[in-house]
Amino acid sequence: MLRARWYKVINDLFGNKTRTLLIVLSMSVGLFALGIILSARTILSEGLAESFAAINPSSGTVRTTELFDEEFLESVRSMKDVQEADARRQISARVRTELGEWKNLTVFVVADYDDIRVNKVSSQSGVWPPPEREMLIERAALSVIGAQVGDVVLVRFPNDTERKILIAGSAYDPAQLPAQIDGTPYGYITFDTLEWFGEPYGFNELHVLATHAQDKDWAQQVVNHVKDKAEKSGYTIPLSMIAEPGQLPMNDVLQGILLLMGLLGVLSLFLSIFLVVNTVSALLTQQKRQIGVMKAVGGSTFQILGMYLVMVLAYGVLALLIAIPLGMAGARELSSALAVFFNFEIYSTEVPPLTIKIQVVIGLILPVLASLIPFISSLRISAAEAMSIYSISKGRFGKNWIDQILSGSNLWFTRDLSLRSLLLSVRNTFRNKGRLTLTLITLTLGSATFISVFNVRASLSSTVEDMIKWFNCDTMLTLDRAYRAERLNREALSVPGVEKTDVWIQLPTRLVRSDDSESGMIYMFAPTVKPDSLIVSPTIAEGRWLAEGDDNAVVVPSAFLQDEPELELGGNIVLKVNGKEYTFKIVGTYIGMAFLPVVYANYDYMTRITNRIGEADALMISTRDHDPVSVDAATSMLEAHFESVGIRVSMLTTINMERRDAEASFDAIVALLLVMAILLALVGGLGLMGTMSINVLERTREIGVLRAIGASNRGVAMVFIREGIVIGLMSWVMGAILAIPTSQGLNQALGQAVMGVPLTYSYSLPGMWLWLVVVVLLSILASFIPARTASRLTVREVLAYE
Amino acid sequence: MNLSIDNPSPPLIELRSVVKVYNSLAGSVMALNCVSLQIFQGEFLVVTGKSGSGKTTLVNIITGLDRLTSGEVWVSGSPMHRFGTEKAARLRGGTMGVVFQSFELLPTLTVLQNVMLPMDFARRYSVWEQRKRAFNLLEQVDIADHAKKQPSALSGGQQQRLAIARAMANDPAILVADEPTGSLDSATAAAVMGIFEGLVQEGRTVLMVTHDKDIAKRGSRTATLVDGEIADAQIKESLHA
Ligand SMILES: Nc1ncnc2c1ncn2[C@@H]1O[C@H](COP(=O)(O)OP(=O)(O)OP(=O)(O)O)[C@@H](O)[C@H]1O
Ligand SMILES: [Mg+2]
Repeated sequence: MLRARWYKVINDLFGNKTRTLLIVLSMSVGLFALGIILSARTILSEGLAESFAAINPSSGTVRTTELFDEEFLESVRSMKDVQEADARRQISARVRTELGEWKNLTVFVVADYDDIRVNKVSSQSGVWPPPEREMLIERAALSVIGAQVGDVVLVRFPNDTERKILIAGSAYDPAQLPAQIDGTPYGYITFDTLEWFGEPYGFNELHVLATHAQDKDWAQQVVNHVKDKAEKSGYTIPLSMIAEPGQLPMNDVLQGILLLMGLLGVLSLFLSIFLVVNTVSALLTQQKRQIGVMKAVGGSTFQILGMYLVMVLAYGVLALLIAIPLGMAGARELSSALAVFFNFEIYSTEVPPLTIKIQVVIGLILPVLASLIPFISSLRISAAEAMSIYSISKGRFGKNWIDQILSGSNLWFTRDLSLRSLLLSVRNTFRNKGRLTLTLITLTLGSATFISVFNVRASLSSTVEDMIKWFNCDTMLTLDRAYRAERLNREALSVPGVEKTDVWIQLPTRLVRSDDSESGMIYMFAPTVKPDSLIVSPTIAEGRWLAEGDDNAVVVPSAFLQDEPELELGGNIVLKVNGKEYTFKIVGTYIGMAFLPVVYANYDYMTRITNRIGEADALMISTRDHDPVSVDAATSMLEAHFESVGIRVSMLTTINMERRDAEASFDAIVALLLVMAILLALVGGLGLMGTMSINVLERTREIGVLRAIGASNRGVAMVFIREGIVIGLMSWVMGAILAIPTSQGLNQALGQAVMGVPLTYSYSLPGMWLWLVVVVLLSILASFIPARTASRLTVREVLAYE
Repeated sequence: MNLSIDNPSPPLIELRSVVKVYNSLAGSVMALNCVSLQIFQGEFLVVTGKSGSGKTTLVNIITGLDRLTSGEVWVSGSPMHRFGTEKAARLRGGTMGVVFQSFELLPTLTVLQNVMLPMDFARRYSVWEQRKRAFNLLEQVDIADHAKKQPSALSGGQQQRLAIARAMANDPAILVADEPTGSLDSATAAAVMGIFEGLVQEGRTVLMVTHDKDIAKRGSRTATLVDGEIADAQIKESLHA
């Protein structure tokens, strides 16, 4: 048989099921959010590392213009610092999707699919290796071309050979950017199939693994050696890339997501701490009188504290029983969804013990600490005070200026009755200041995070807009060779819907350093620079964009100046174009992704010095209507027309595709942010609900008295609902303000992780208004339910309630 | 046993110039104004006075439930006025039982458990003994039939009797009761008085607050409070002298 005091604990726990449920729920939502974020973070980063290690990732890739054979591959393999090397053929083809739309398709040709040594590709489903005259598709690419294994698709090679080919299976190639992110699906065929497309045998892509793969500088050197060797053997190298050691291509974005999750994790940590502290202190306030009684009948602080600690621990255990398993399941769902999106495997969904430890600490230790604080302060008040009915009305209301204002006596408009009663709610709300503060902090944190999530989303969109802003046209066509600009313009303008055209020229160049060494291939884009040009500047980091009268001005990527110490803004740069050296002046730098260096120069100047006046190999058009449908329609008419007049288009991008691609790479982040926003709304909402309910429960006796003296059920409920709305609104205002620095921080962190520069800051007003609606609805709901329950009790029940 | 005021043995409870001032928004209230009072072992002191005269305040001061503004309170030789809430609780738990004017029963415990709780806190008896004692006490106040009920299911008078049973739980040497018969009909009130008189006969000390003149007459001594001051202290013949 138990001691009497434990009966009190048990009866308090299970006798008041609503209260227990509310307390446990408030505590567990916070713990759940924390668990899901912390665990998913670990599962993802481990899965990422393991997936990557499993494919024997390359240190770098070297692409050749001319084809090379096994002999050259062997010679690279035998280089001293090369640990392993492998070769592929890479072809930029086009594929017609289900809907009849042509899309880019990158086709890889591998000599022996069962002996891929670097950047391993493996079978995902269907046949392996790809049979003759059949193709495998990267698993993440199937959705992009809207096809399934077993479908037949039409593929067109750059040599104009078109073949209907069966998708015989799917492959898994995590070394490539996931197709839905860069918009290019990947296909895998054999050399026999390549021959069927009328292409000669040979490779054009080398994947090199350096001896000390973890050392990026070393890897860079080794890849440069390979590049030099290839150039010495007579190959042209348009592109060489260094991979970040041990990282998948989407690593940066994923790191950004993980970082974001980490930050949200910290926020939800605070949220759950506040929820727990708030709940426990509410409980203790409610029990104040009983604590006084127990002291009066001889209970020592220690004994009474023991009772409440056991009670609080019991709440903690119950909350953890809900939060831990749900958090685990949630983390698994979330990480597998993200793994699918970023196209890697999760080998273990084991939840890290640390997460559970943190949850347990917060779920058990924190409530204990939280209950110690009111206990220590209760030592100062006497038992008589604790029991005193005077204490209800003894609140400190009326002293400071906030209270003065809220009392409304000095405001003429408070003579209006409804306003008066509103002020009364605020006054009520202000009565328990400690509680109000805690509730407000919790809710404000929730609001700020929710709005910030929307802000980050808006900022991502602004960043995308910024990224494509310089691309002032609707469609951009790259042609197989140079044509007369006048002819391109004329033919394009003859297509209905095309309103304006502009041209540019692309030139391969190399940087010549003062010691006569040369850099790798750099693309020079030479757009026209006129007031009505269809290209505006990319985002300028320093200096300025090209101007109409410029001769030898160039704009270079900002990363370029760091890589090449000889170069500086305002200084000279020597570029080799068509075998001749020209000196240019760096007038500006732009923010851009640095792996594909592009320099910009003036079209007129470049065509003049290269003797190609009037020529162009890229065409930009602006259509009459800019909606995606009209742009697509005009574009396909243009493509057909060019084909009929013998102008070959090698690549075609519409601004919508560009935007879609740019957005697609942020899609996962946005999706995740939305999940987080919903989670946070849930946490904040349940938190509010919990606190409001506890507030109402605490004042059940007051409700009884109100009704005993004639207040109607509705009247009683309205008092609490108004109060809930007031709290909700206050947290909304503060959250909306707090969201400004919070989202700036998130933008900074996320932008740095993904692109090296902060995101373009944007405050999401829709997010703010949405949260207003959510918070008001939640406040009504949160106060309505308990108020209704309370007003349904009979007066006698209420007065007996404590 | 000598019950007269000129008792040579030291008083069990002694108040010396006790002042209690309540500070609230409405202003300060002098609830006790320089009250000095001696209570000897075996006395049955009845405190009377109008509503608001400071009776409950006096009870709270004597039992150490509230701090005083100035003055001294000695209980069996211990300076209660110097004790913090913790020490006061221990002294109270060991020597005093308190019946509150508004009962102050714990709503989530049964009637029986309410009586057992002080014994639990005092760690006096084994759980079985606690139970047996609690049951006996409930029988004494005639509510043993309701032992399993929640206090809220009792009538006002029954709740008052439960509060008395709880006050006697630890077999206290001093029983302090604030209006213990306020909600009782005269027959039950008489029964409660019988219990108190029995306690006094056993050598215990009882301090009772009431404003019922008839009941006040049954004490061995009456003290009347008027606006926080003792107006007179009237000694009566001891009941069993
Ligand atoms: N906590 C408190 N805060 C402020 N004033 C108080 C407090 N408790 C009592 N008072 C005031 O002190 C005075 C004495 O109160 P007390 O409760 O001792 O009276 P009482 O004699 O017990 O009255 P009753 O017979 O109505 O119970 C009263 O004027 C009362 O208003
Ligand atoms: Mg009183």
